[in-house]
Amino acid sequence: MCKDMSPLEKAIQFHGHICPGLLMGVRAAELALEYLQVDLDQDDDLAAIVETNFCGVDAIQAILGCTFGKGNLYFRDYGKIVYTIFSRKKQQAIRIAQRFEALDDPNTKRYLALRFQEQLTTEEEAELEDLLALSFEWIMSQPLERLFHWRQVDVPELNKAEITPSVQCHKCGEGVLKNKAVLTDDSLLCPECRLSMEG
Amino acid sequence: MCEANVYLLKEGREELFMEKVDRIIPGEDNTLFMENIFGERRVAKAAIREMELVHHRIIIEEVSQQQINVGTEIWLDLDTDHGHFHEGEEVRLNLLKGYNMKADLDAVWESPQVILVGQSGRRQADLHLHSHIGHINLGKEADGLIQVYARETGEKELIAKLLVEVGHHHHHEMQHIGLPLEIMPCGYAHARMGENYEVQVLQNGQPLVGVELRATYANTRNRDYPHTMTTDQEGKARLFLTARGNYLFSVSNEETISTFTLVKSF
Repeated sequence: MCKDMSPLEKAIQFHGHICPGLLMGVRAAELALEYLQVDLDQDDDLAAIVETNFCGVDAIQAILGCTFGKGNLYFRDYGKIVYTIFSRKKQQAIRIAQRFEALDDPNTKRYLALRFQEQLTTEEEAELEDLLALSFEWIMSQPLERLFHWRQVDVPELNKAEITPSVQCHKCGEGVLKNKAVLTDDSLLCPECRLSMEG
Repeated sequence: MCEANVYLLKEGREELFMEKVDRIIPGEDNTLFMENIFGERRVAKAAIREMELVHHRIIIEEVSQQQINVGTEIWLDLDTDHGHFHEGEEVRLNLLKGYNMKADLDAVWESPQVILVGQSGRRQADLHLHSHIGHINLGKEADGLIQVYARETGEKELIAKLLVEVGHHHHHEMQHIGLPLEIMPCGYAHARMGENYEVQVLQNGQPLVGVELRATYANTRNRDYPHTMTTDQEGKARLFLTARGNYLFSVSNEETISTFTLVKSF
């Protein structure tokens, strides 16, 4: 309808489907907003360091507005479902870690087992749909303490993305940021062409 | 060796359906789930007719749609994906017949009637039946909330209800119209995923306590209604909305099947 979307809807629209991982990201975003007392209509200075590239990060991007394009989303490939959300204006930061046993309810476990099964029977497809509904309700109604550990941390000092003029790669002819280009003995290469020459 | 070959009986002839089956599980809605020693799985809408285990043979028979009593119902839907209409737009609706939000393409109609209840009172609306869909054009309605009902009398009375929003922000209570069986939303507000939605079941205007209310949603993979609730002391039941698209609530007794379509834009 002609209305502002709820945070949950924003996340689902952005991610493309509903899954337990995305819903956990929705709950983490909810926790960050509550803890930092940020009104997204007033403040857009939030930034996030994410230690995973799983589904939940899409909820962080869609709800908190921390995106790669805006330069306020930093990815650290640690393979951990941990988000550090901070407000530069308020000089406050929260580190949110998903509990190891967060998704151990039987319905979510069965859902995840079926979700990664290669082939499903018609019965299992229907079961998967029912399990997602049960998991949805379970995740959205759990107290935040049941799902996450969190603590206040210092506001991370991060360098803002450096924007330099583009130069042309001598091999592929495409533009590349000057500070990312590699100068060899006889040419200026983009990282991709440099790697292909090495390989 | 305890596995058996499964044969499907079709028009008096046996066809090999699956070899070396070692697991058969009857499912809901007349289905059989089968798995063989090679790990292959199949589901058939069938019933076991005979088992000759000495000869490792199981004969199954297809269950036709006619043999399955699914309880035909009718429901209303908006003929727009936008979730509501703007003032000045033609308000178009569809009436469908089938079960579990799956329209029966061979539906036979028995002169259904459509009634509108809005700010300007109650009136009947024209319905044009075309194939399995009943088309309703209410014309250009004024800003407001309209309750639309469809009724068809046959072996059972079929009732369908839908709220049509013209314009925005019509959040208020509604009045029932005293039908034999009616599902009323508890206050009109935009329904969202991830929230509870409450309805009340009324019989001739009175709350119905302890009855089974079922709910389904568009494009469910379930053959039957995925949600079943029981009304409380006030005839109310709540459902946590987890699916995209519209929901359909259904309640029935010996004489009537009544539905309410909950329109969501997402």
